[in-house]
Amino acid sequence: MLFRILKNSFLKRPKAVFLVFLSITMGAAVATAFLGIAGEVSHKMALELRSYGANILLEPSALEGGGFLREEDLPKIKTVFWKYNITGFTPYLFGVAEFSANGKHERGIVSGTWFNKELVVPGEESTVQGIKVIAPWWDVQGGWPQAADDAVIGAALAKRLGLSVGGQVEATVRGTGQRFRVAGIVTTGGYEEEQVFAPLVTVQSLLRQQGKVSRVLVSALTVPMDAFGRKDPATMSKDEYEKWYCTAYVTSVAKNVEEVMAGSRAKPIWQIASAEGALLKKLNSVMLLLTILALGASATAVSTSLMASMAERSPEIALMKAVGADRFQITAIFVGETLIISLCGGVIGYLLGDQLAELISRTVFNSTIASPLWLFPTAIVSAFVVAVAGSVAPLRRALRIEPVRVLKG
Amino acid sequence: MSTTIIETGGLTRNYGDICALKPLDLKVPEGEWLSVMGHSGSGKSTLLNLLGGLDRPSNGSLRVGGEDMQGLTEDGLARFRREFVGIIFQQHHLIPYLTAVENVMMAQYFHSVPDEAEARLALERVGLGHRLKNRPSELSGGEQQRVCIARAIINSPKLLLGDEPTGNLDHKSTLMVMELLKELRAEERFTIVMVTHNPEVAAWGDRTIYLDDGILVREERTRS
Repeated sequence: MLFRILKNSFLKRPKAVFLVFLSITMGAAVATAFLGIAGEVSHKMALELRSYGANILLEPSALEGGGFLREEDLPKIKTVFWKYNITGFTPYLFGVAEFSANGKHERGIVSGTWFNKELVVPGEESTVQGIKVIAPWWDVQGGWPQAADDAVIGAALAKRLGLSVGGQVEATVRGTGQRFRVAGIVTTGGYEEEQVFAPLVTVQSLLRQQGKVSRVLVSALTVPMDAFGRKDPATMSKDEYEKWYCTAYVTSVAKNVEEVMAGSRAKPIWQIASAEGALLKKLNSVMLLLTILALGASATAVSTSLMASMAERSPEIALMKAVGADRFQITAIFVGETLIISLCGGVIGYLLGDQLAELISRTVFNSTIASPLWLFPTAIVSAFVVAVAGSVAPLRRALRIEPVRVLKG
Repeated sequence: MSTTIIETGGLTRNYGDICALKPLDLKVPEGEWLSVMGHSGSGKSTLLNLLGGLDRPSNGSLRVGGEDMQGLTEDGLARFRREFVGIIFQQHHLIPYLTAVENVMMAQYFHSVPDEAEARLALERVGLGHRLKNRPSELSGGEQQRVCIARAIINSPKLLLGDEPTGNLDHKSTLMVMELLKELRAEERFTIVMVTHNPEVAAWGDRTIYLDDGILVREERTRS
């Protein structure tokens, strides 16, 4: 009988039912689209943010290693648990040198590093690592070093030495000299403009520190820090530690890298990690807020439509009450209608929202997205929440209807 | 001696400053057919609404079928209406998008479990076996009123309330409806309280009370 009442109720008021269905569908579609691209947006934004610099600094432990890390350990970084989150890294070996060029002399830092090194790790896909990967914002006039005696010179130092691209500069360290060809001049606005960057192997030789590096900068995709992420792992229970270790906090990724680099200590670069975390958190909050606003707007539209049809339905509800329907039975009719419309609206909303998410992803990120499995039940639940929230006020009005007033002859 | 099914003591209903029903003492024995007459605004419908649990008294006591109506909650009144009372309205008040048989089944649904065979039988009893699948708009006024009667009796109520049930019917249809009620009462043995302003209709009852400005001014027994 309930089904007959519901069926006929729908057929009797197709316009009102369609308006409610449309409102619920739109709410579910927007929720599906926003939630669907939220994960994708976070991922893409995190990748974009990685271009603003490394977020983990790996340096020799104060207790062991003698102030250096071993170059031969570097490939291990791409074998750790979080290897797919590590988008790039580059080692540095620093030394103080006397630079001479065009009859001018300057004391400064010579840095040995990787620029664009193909790294082959047994059992893993080969990757390219180096400054070009982790510091894509470097503005290099000229080109990147191609030969062992090519170097990139900071713009400020080059200016003082009167150097331009193609020029020669002599670096001397404790009586050992190395002549470099200026392949490029770098402008960063930072300390890099005072240094000379040359291939790691050349600088190791110049400094007589073969196979050694001073520090490694690592760029990793991480999740925003929360209260749990900030806890000291030393105070965690086994389960807590496992959860922390398996969450891509910058601290847990740093710990993961530290474990494979002998004699190292990994520290998050907080100004980068915090800024990224805060930005991603805000982005997620905005997406969530937009979703809630969209669902709220849909619920309001549902409520308005149902309220408008309530005047038309008052005699029907009053009659039902007069013949003995109690509040539960009246509620059951409303909830039944709501369930059917929200189920249909949820399914259609999901299909529309999925397409909308695809369109947004293609337009904004120029890529497709894979719809996660949880999105379908989420769309159905969103539709139901919208329908229930929108039905509360009309239902309260329905329950307040007094048969004696409405059915008055 | 038959038991009393309706008993009021100083029953009053006020709407703001207006007193629609002044203190009324009334007893209705089980199985009686009571007609209530009076002019428009005399308090007849107010009394009927109170007896049917559609409205609450302002003062006084009201017991129907041993139930203290003052003490019932909203859902308690709904239960009382579906289990104890059948109501026939002047305007029929049928759900327009349901067929005749579905309108009857709706009362079953709110009472317990819908039974289409039983609903068909009820419509056959009121002479509408051939109109089961028709919607109210496809029925005449008299036929709609008979659907309303079938709906009112489907749950075997102890008390049948009629609010001007023939008010919108022509003479022929009125006679048909009254004959039908007489037959059903003889079979079902329910109590009838029927509000009317038509003395001919009132004469079908066992007793008639007259209300004027909310006061019971006269009563007379129409049958021995």
